[in-house]
Amino acid sequence: MKKKLGMFAGLVLFVVLMAACAADSSQEESDSGDSNSSGSEDSSAENQDTTEISFIHWRGEDEEVFDDIIGQFEEENPGISVQMNTYPSEQYQSNAQQMLRDGSTGDVFTSFPGTQFETINNAGFFTDLSDEEFVNNFAETSLEVGQSEGSQLAVPYQMVFNMPVYNKGMFEELGIEVPTSWSEYQAMAETLKENDITPIAFPGADIGPNQMMNSMMMNNAKNEDIFAQLESGEETLTNDWWINTLEDFQHFNENGYLQEDALGTNQDSAMQMVADEEAAMLATGSYHMASLKELNSDLELGFLPPITVSEEEVEYEGIHTATFMLAVNKNSEKKEEAKAFIEFLSQPDIASQYANETGQHLTVNDVDYESESLQNTSHWIDEKDTRFQPRYLIKEAAVEDAVLGSIENVLGGTSPEEAADEAQQVVEENID
Amino acid sequence: MKISKTIYLFFIPGLILYSIFFLYPTFSAVFYSFTNWDGISANFNFVGFENYTKAVTGDSVFVKSVGNNLEFMLFVVIFQTIIALIFAIFLVKNTKVNYMLRALFFFPTILSSVSVAFIWTFVYDPSLGILNQILSLIGLDFLALNWLGNGDIAIYALAFTQVWFHAGQMLIIFVAGLHAIPFDLYEAAKIEGATKWQTFKKITWPLLAPSATIVIAYTTIQSFQAFDLVFAMTGGGPNNTTEILSTYIYEVAFRGYDFGYASAISVIFMCVIALITYLQFKVLRSNRVSY
Repeated sequence: MKKKLGMFAGLVLFVVLMAACAADSSQEESDSGDSNSSGSEDSSAENQDTTEISFIHWRGEDEEVFDDIIGQFEEENPGISVQMNTYPSEQYQSNAQQMLRDGSTGDVFTSFPGTQFETINNAGFFTDLSDEEFVNNFAETSLEVGQSEGSQLAVPYQMVFNMPVYNKGMFEELGIEVPTSWSEYQAMAETLKENDITPIAFPGADIGPNQMMNSMMMNNAKNEDIFAQLESGEETLTNDWWINTLEDFQHFNENGYLQEDALGTNQDSAMQMVADEEAAMLATGSYHMASLKELNSDLELGFLPPITVSEEEVEYEGIHTATFMLAVNKNSEKKEEAKAFIEFLSQPDIASQYANETGQHLTVNDVDYESESLQNTSHWIDEKDTRFQPRYLIKEAAVEDAVLGSIENVLGGTSPEEAADEAQQVVEENID
Repeated sequence: MKISKTIYLFFIPGLILYSIFFLYPTFSAVFYSFTNWDGISANFNFVGFENYTKAVTGDSVFVKSVGNNLEFMLFVVIFQTIIALIFAIFLVKNTKVNYMLRALFFFPTILSSVSVAFIWTFVYDPSLGILNQILSLIGLDFLALNWLGNGDIAIYALAFTQVWFHAGQMLIIFVAGLHAIPFDLYEAAKIEGATKWQTFKKITWPLLAPSATIVIAYTTIQSFQAFDLVFAMTGGGPNNTTEILSTYIYEVAFRGYDFGYASAISVIFMCVIALITYLQFKVLRSNRVSY
């Protein structure tokens, strides 16, 4: 009996181990790209010569356009197929690095500038694209954000303007001129309020001050290294540049420039306020223009960043971010195919299709913007003096949270000095 | 009776699974808590107790998240237990209406936490939310607050959602516990002329102690694990006022890429839950009686 039981237990263990090994080897086959994931023998035979590359990003709303573009790419490159996977941006920021590690996912991947770019770079997951011809298809001025120590590690695809979007038609109707100084900005806000219009819809519950902080501080702290200096201990949040920014937020909040309960309003509600013309501006950025137009096709939109200084002191007119940076995974075994896909995306006609169907500005040269909103705002790319989004220049997530938290604190009623003190304490705890 | 040694072989599959899915991750967390691993690179250095020292003495956000978590836990444990117990007492009889009501109260438990978060985010919306609209309709405008945007009350708004989410589950445990109390004890109490309060105090509550132990311990653990609800509803904001330990660990590990420090907080977190649960068991066990 004992012997039989022992043999039975041994057999069970053997079967479990064999099953595990079998599962592992099938995984390896699948990962090698030699077999088709659909599983049918016929289709496996048909696709034996096809190399499947994985493309991962966070723009779920662009899937339909990408599906079409991928179809065109696969037609032009019959030996390559593209498997696209999208993730919510929060999840992508947290998990992309893990996915890239073994090289089976994200042959072509996207990266945010700032912390994520630095982390992926430190882990060595970027392939150097410096010698690739397609790099020349991108506006030279936008490329710097994807560079490290002289190497082009990623190419930014989208040009986002992280500053409030405003209802141009409403301004024309009310006879309001676009303000060019702090006093004009205040007068503009008062006129809007007199007409029962909330000047700015602020989605504090989900987006928070992430976007608004950039344009609020752009002329209060003109030094673009300010956050690098904060993280090295040379600057503090208790100095004028940040206290002034917090005071400006306090002024906006206490004088009704933002809607009531701004910290509890989510982005859908804030967008609806602008679409219903209850609010004149949306405190997010260009990436919401297409959605606003969907909610109200009559809206004529433009950018109107807050001017918090006098006209003579204005140095920056707005904020931009070259983002959605396309890159090739260094651990990928299909680098050439991955590069071919990026090259395809950087063709002006393909980029134009992507820009017009998603309502976004791109960093690719010779893009033909067809939509009215994009045409109305494309002059910001070349003609306006914008600066790179300061928030993305904060490397430590804890420092970024402290900076944003101090704004939330002020919007919640804390004094700017107290909020700055509390945030500075967190900064000091997190810098070397 | 002598147990055959062969029987120990049957422990092996379970032990293997337990080792892979519990012991290994636990010991890994302890191991990494003494390093500065970023979660991605292959290299890391040992930093001794530095991560633990930082958590205890040099991280105000961690201290704040511990405080928030305790507030959240106390609110949930107290209200969830009381509400579940009251409803269980009213719904203890097996009638058709009670069956239906028990199912109704249990219903939120089967929803996904993200759906619950989505529903309650809209309930709490300060301008469009149904809660403020109802309060305004019945003339209680002064109670129509910025539920998730006000740092002073957001943690309680989240805790209330947690109570709504799980009270039905605890109700079922209490109903089962009430059914296990012998009916003749109530008859004897009635004959003796005991009041309803005396009956509850001397019979129902003491004999419900095993169920209460489960409910309170489980609710405590649930309160510490309420990651998904908090993450989806407030993300720990505004200004960390709803940051609890689990969301802070996520923040440190996956946004700050400091897995070493996140592991140290996880180990502290594990010890805090174990200690609180042990104390609860000890206190509640001492209250148990049998007739």
